[in-house]
Order: sequence, then structure tokens, then C-alpha cells
Amino acid sequence: MAETPRLKKLLKEPLVHFLGGALLVFGFFWATGSDRDPADYAIAVDATDIDRLRAGWIRNFRREPTATELDGLIDQEIREEIYYREALRLGLDRNDPVIRRRLFTKMRFLRNAEADLEPADAVLQQWLEENPEKYGGTGQFDLEQVYLGQAGEMDENRIAQLRDRLNAGQKENAGKAISLPESLQATETETVARLFGEGFARALGELPVGSWEGPVLSGFGLHLVKIANRKAGTIPVLDDVRQQVRNDWRAAETQKAEEGEYQKLRGQYDIRIAGQD
Amino acid sequence: MRKILLLASGATALALSGCGGLTGSDDAEVEVTNTEYPEQVYWGDTHLHTDNSVDAYGFGNRLNAEQALRFARGEEVTATKGEKAKLSRPLDFLVIADHSDAMGATKAIAEAPRIALLGNEFLLRWHDMLNESEEGALQVTAELIDGAAKGTLPEELTDPEEQAERTTELWNAHGETVDEYNEPGKFTAFMGYEYTPMPQGDNLHRVVMFRDGADKATTVLPYSSQGFAGNPENLWEHMAAYEKDTGGQMLAIPHNSNVSNGRMFEMQKYDGSPIDAAYAKTRALREPVVEVTQIKGDSEAHPFLSPNDEFAGFGDAGWDQCNLSCTRKMAPESYAGSYTREALKRGLELVHRIGANPFKFGVIGSTDSHTSLATADEDNFFGKHSANEANARDRALQPQNLGTREGRFGWHYLSSGYAAAWATSNTREAIFDAFMRREVYATTGPRMTVRFFGGFGFTADDMADLVKAGYEKGVPMGGDLTGGDGTAPSFLISALMDPESASLDRVQVVKGWIDADGNSQEKIYNVSWSDADNRKADADGKIGAVPNTVDLTKGTWDNATGAPELATWWQDPDFEADQHAFYYVRVLEIPTPTWPVYDALKFNLTLPDEVIKIQQERAYTSPIWYTPKA
Repeated sequence: MAETPRLKKLLKEPLVHFLGGALLVFGFFWATGSDRDPADYAIAVDATDIDRLRAGWIRNFRREPTATELDGLIDQEIREEIYYREALRLGLDRNDPVIRRRLFTKMRFLRNAEADLEPADAVLQQWLEENPEKYGGTGQFDLEQVYLGQAGEMDENRIAQLRDRLNAGQKENAGKAISLPESLQATETETVARLFGEGFARALGELPVGSWEGPVLSGFGLHLVKIANRKAGTIPVLDDVRQQVRNDWRAAETQKAEEGEYQKLRGQYDIRIAGQD
Repeated sequence: MRKILLLASGATALALSGCGGLTGSDDAEVEVTNTEYPEQVYWGDTHLHTDNSVDAYGFGNRLNAEQALRFARGEEVTATKGEKAKLSRPLDFLVIADHSDAMGATKAIAEAPRIALLGNEFLLRWHDMLNESEEGALQVTAELIDGAAKGTLPEELTDPEEQAERTTELWNAHGETVDEYNEPGKFTAFMGYEYTPMPQGDNLHRVVMFRDGADKATTVLPYSSQGFAGNPENLWEHMAAYEKDTGGQMLAIPHNSNVSNGRMFEMQKYDGSPIDAAYAKTRALREPVVEVTQIKGDSEAHPFLSPNDEFAGFGDAGWDQCNLSCTRKMAPESYAGSYTREALKRGLELVHRIGANPFKFGVIGSTDSHTSLATADEDNFFGKHSANEANARDRALQPQNLGTREGRFGWHYLSSGYAAAWATSNTREAIFDAFMRREVYATTGPRMTVRFFGGFGFTADDMADLVKAGYEKGVPMGGDLTGGDGTAPSFLISALMDPESASLDRVQVVKGWIDADGNSQEKIYNVSWSDADNRKADADGKIGAVPNTVDLTKGTWDNATGAPELATWWQDPDFEADQHAFYYVRVLEIPTPTWPVYDALKFNLTLPDEVIKIQQERAYTSPIWYTPKA
């Protein structure tokens, strides 16, 4: 083997450098007649395993493996299994920080894998009802607004007069020009926040409906606002947001399962930390 | 079963294997209606790295594509180093752009069984260093970048066949994740990657993005630069082949021309031969947009090239000294090929000379973050990579001397930028098409809304409904004005501040043109500015600096100094009908604190004098080109 062998070769011939040494140790145990459970020497490659190997090949190479290639895959599987078991017998898994970390990672991935089951609609519906605000269920507004310029630009008396005029139905020449919509219909709270800033959208929740109110502060300055209609947040239809709900449910489930499992395991341990008795 | 990536891998070493496919998306197709013209600007990052990037993993990043997508969409995630991270506002789209070269390789080397690497001293050493300590992992990454620059990486990381073996499953799994998070009308997840050639450490990187979903995009593998040294013309060929085979579409976005040592926009081809019309047309077609601002500096302009532009030095500090790997010093003579304004001018020179323009590009910003977190806000900056995330106390002051670098410090990183796209809906198709027609702009992080239309028939009255007039009587940013009757083109311009950021100092038009001698020229016009009653232009049209209201002890400023919105009709006063020209808009915010100031407040640090603490964040639009009548 060349000094920097190609990885592909390594893949195909794993452990070759180690083989000689391992065989020596193995031979030693053989010669000295160490105890061995015969059951440990049974290897069954069943139909599911073969399907898995085949599927892996197809994903990689976009075609069915030939019979020879499939035999090669099976052979490789057996070879790995044998070395794996022998390595365990030799205790090669112990005192190895990489293996320790690897097994840690596997435990975490195990939990994730469980959360990957396809959820039933009822489960998603429940998630949706518990978290409607994440899916546009934050309420809608019909509103008009008049921009008054930056804070301090217009004095308070003038603003009060303007508000009275607006409430008396005189909208002409009110306020200052800015390229923001003067009225919004059935607009989601998050869209209002996108246009005017988070603080403005929050403040709308407090305003009375049906009259010109304010001034309300936005990122741009002050506004007088008339909310014609405020629709409380409703729960969106699952089909409209299914994909996002499923993603979120799965992410949350993964995290929950992992944390739950960890706490369960941790509960079995007697843990002492220096300085925290 | 999609996520149990590593369970089955066992002794198969570097072959990251997956196991079973997710039951495909069974959602009914969502109908998204496109608006008649682009009514809304969509915000995104087209340049984000996850743990599949060879350097990002080495830097410690352990967040994957799914977490990156969740974060961009506005969810809270826990950063690699443990800090909770959430954007102040969601993004509308994201391109995960992991390096195609050695994609997934550090992760694979780190996770490979040690025993499988025993015959390979080189990889074994890296494997041990990656696993031993954070310093070890950083050292590996430094060596990797250095090796990429020098072309000394082992074959395992550069050979296309080796790449393909490792990448195929990873890319397919990535496609599944991206498709799951692509929600037409709400959030767009693009397939993409970064093509990373850096001959001698000179940055020739491109982000590549697909218009298509995984079904098409995974019929090809992320195209590698074959040892970090490839000729970008090969990439364009690959793109053409993909489009022919699949009916899909791709585009490429060059970035960090600022550390290309003059090579990104050089006046010759990669192999040194002269640029011809065929090359020019291909390049303009394949690379309609350039990423002009990001964490590793800003590439719009340099004071050496634009001595009359008092705002030209933004984001240049540290980055203009040497190339990407800092293995070669960069002489100012090289800058012309490194900055976009100069490239746009060179493009006009080439039109003059060969009749075609290879540098006819629009501009966007993006982060190039290697933390899986697309952050570009000064007060919520998660750093360039996981070793300088938000909870690293001294990150602003630490030298970034990876490999053989020198002279760059944490504070040189910009908390920048984002891409703004005027698209007819939030879908892959509509946003990609906006990129293709260059109806996009760049910001250094703030989300100001910028409109820019050019035409021959605009009047000041058109400002009353500039969007309608703009599309009906002219062209938007990225467009072309050809011919005309000899009267100067005029422009409708508006810039609305980001309601969560700072008010605006000024709006400028940057004009480049070819003079009668065939030489390129530039001029900057202040066209609208705050407090115009008191701030008057001098004889040269210059406007004095806007007052600085930054309070460094609090990290605050006073928006009353600037304008919430600046809008104007403007006509070129120096127009010559027979001269090729381009015009783009630059919008400047009032002065605000840089991210190290927020770090200083959070960690009670004293920042040395040389650290830039106050800046004027900005937006750059794509140009509008004027071509004389034939």
C-alpha cells in the first residue's frame, strides 16, 4: 500500500494493516483455549439485510447492483461483522475517547430516529391548536394609518387636533407622505410587523376599535391609527400549513424525546460533582 | 429514518451512509399566485455553511442543514457553543451553500473509526486532532485552508471519484431536508453549494444555486473545483450541461472578490488568454449576480480606486492587505480586479473593445456564516465560525491567524449582509428569476426597502406612484436602457429605512461611463439626503457628514438625525448620448455601532483605538445600464 493510500482502497480493505497483529492475538486466545460462546459465532444475513444493502447501493449509484456486486456487498457486510465482533472480544472499544463520543452520538440519533415516525393527522392538529401563533394564527387587522413624522416633529396639540379632525371624518391632507400603505385589509399581525416594526404591531393589540387613536410609535416615527376591525387569531386549516407543522412537530418531538430519555437515564445514576455537594 | 445517518455506517469509514428514505412529501401542491409585478421585497441569505462544509465542521460547527433552515425561518436554535440563537425577524429564503470540495469530509474523517485510518498517517493525524481538542480541530481547519491554497491537500480530499463516493448519499439526504423546508409562498429553501477554487490562495469562489428542487438538483453532484484550483469556465460548462439534461436552471454568484488578489474581475481569462465575446456572454449569463458584501469584508469600492468617494472604505480594513489565505500580499495595483464598481467599469471598457460585457452583474449581500446561523445584525452577530460565536468573550480582539495568516483580527469581520429580491412571490422560481434579471440588491444587514427605476420619459410627477410608473415607463434595477432620443435618462428612486434599524443619511447615484477616449470614469451624485434645509451641497456636490449620535456606552443612536424615507426623481446632468454608462444607487444609514461595541458592553471589554466602532450601514442596488443606439 502506498504511503498515502487512497481512501477508496481503505474502504475496500479496511483493517488490513491491523490484520496481522489482530490475528496473532486471536491465535493466542485460540491456542490457550479461552471460553467462547458458540452462539457468538453465528452470522445470519437475512432478507431484510440484503434489501438494505441493495437500497443503499441504489441510492448511491442510481441502479440495481449486479449479482456480483451484491455478493460483494454481502461479503463486505460479513467481513465487517466478524472484525467488529473480534474487536469487541479484544476489548478494543474500551478507553477510546472516539468510540465513547461515537456511542454518545448514536444514543442521541436513536432518539431522533424514533421521533421520525410519520405523525397522524390528529397529532398534527393538536400541535397546531397548541401553537397557532406560529402559523399565522396571530390575528388580522383592517386598519388605516396616518404618518405624523418622526417623534417630536409634530407637537402634541397639533396631533390631538389632527386626531379630532380625523374622527370627525376629515381625512384630507392629514399627516406626512411616506411610502407605507395608508390602509390594510385582513392583514396578518406578522405582516404589520414586517411593514411597521414589531413594536407597532404589538401596540395595535391595545387600541380600541373603530376610532382614530394614537399616536402609536413605529420604527419610522408616530402614526395615528384607526382599527376598523380586529380579528382574533384563528387556528389555520391543517392542510394549509401541514408541511411546516410536521417539520416543527418533528423537531419538537425529537428534542422532547432526547431530553426525556436523558433525564430518565440520569435518574438512575448517583452523580457527584466536586464543590456541589 | 432519515436522521440515523451515522448508525449504520460502522466500519464503512468515510462513506456516510443513510438508511431508508423518508416517506416522500405527500402534501397537496400549494398554489402560489404570482403578483403582476414585484410588490414585495424578499430577504434572504444565499451563502450559509453547515456542518457539511469541510472548514465549518473543523471550526466546531455541529448544526446541520435542518437546524440552519429552522433558524433562518425564525425559530430559536441552540448554537454549537451553547448560546440560544434567534433572528429578530425571519428570513424569506435561504441557500445552504456548503463547499462542494471535500463536502462532508472533516465530519467523515472525525467520525471514521481510528483503526480504518491506520494506514494513512496524514488523515490519521487530522482524525486525532479533530477529536482531541478544539485547538486541534482549528489547526486542522487552518491546515486545510492553507493546503487548499497551496494545492497540497491529499488526493482523498480532491479526487473527483473519492468525492462522488462520499457526497452522493449526503447530497441526496440534503435534498430531502431542503425540500421538506421549502414552503412555497412562505419560505423558500434553495438547493445550492459553494464552488471553491482558490489558486495560490486567491479567492475565485462562487455560490451556486438551483431553481429546481431535489428531484433535479440531485441528478448531479455538487461540482467540485477539483483540488480548490478549478477554472470557473468548467463550472459554467457543467451548468449548461445540467440545464440541457434536466430542463432545470442554475446560476453562480462570485463572492469575496476583495481577497481575489485582482483575479475575480481580471481582464483576461483564467488561463491568461484575452477575453473574447463568447466568454463575456457566457459569464454574464451564468453569473448574473455578485455577492458584494459579507462577513469577510465588503467589495463595492476601495479608496485607492475611488479617491473622491469619502464612503468607499467600508468593510475594507484588514481584507485589503492580502489574499484569502494571506499567502500573498495584495498590491493596490491589483485592486481594480477585486472591487465591483471597478469591475462594472471594466465591463463597459470591454463592451467598447470586444462588444460584449462579462461583468454585467447585479449585486446582493449574504453572510458566508459558517455557524449554520444566518446572522447579519450588529447586536445579534454569531460570528464567522463556531470558534467565534456570540459567547466568545475576546472574539473581536483575537488574531484570525489560521494557517499562515497575519494582520486580520476578529473585529475585521463584518456583521453583513443580506440579499433583497424583488420577486413576484416567495417561491424558488420567482426569486431565482429575480436573480436572473438582476432585480436584486445588497445590504450590509439592515432591511431598507429600495426602489430604483430608470427610463427616458419619467417626470417628477411620476414619484406620486413610482412603482406603477417605474414598471410601465421604465426598467427596474438590473435592467437595460438602450437608445433613447438623446435626452438624458431619468430615475425614480426611493429608500425606506428598516423600521428596526437606523434612519437614513443619504441616497447616492453612482455612475460609471466610458469617455470619448475609451477610458472608464466614475462619479457619485448625492441625490437625496436628510435635513436638506440645513445640509447644503458644496460646489462639488458634496454633502457634509451627518451628525454622529452613537452613544458607545449604551450602544444607541438617535434616529431623529436621519430621514425615515428618502425619495427623488433624478436626471443625469452629465449625460452624453454616445457613451456607455451604468447607474446604481447607494443608500447610507446614519452612524450606528459595530458588533464589537455590543460585545464590549456585554463582556465589559475595552476596545483598542484601531477597532472600528461606528459605521454607516448601507444598501447597494444592482445597476441599470445605458447603451447608446447602435
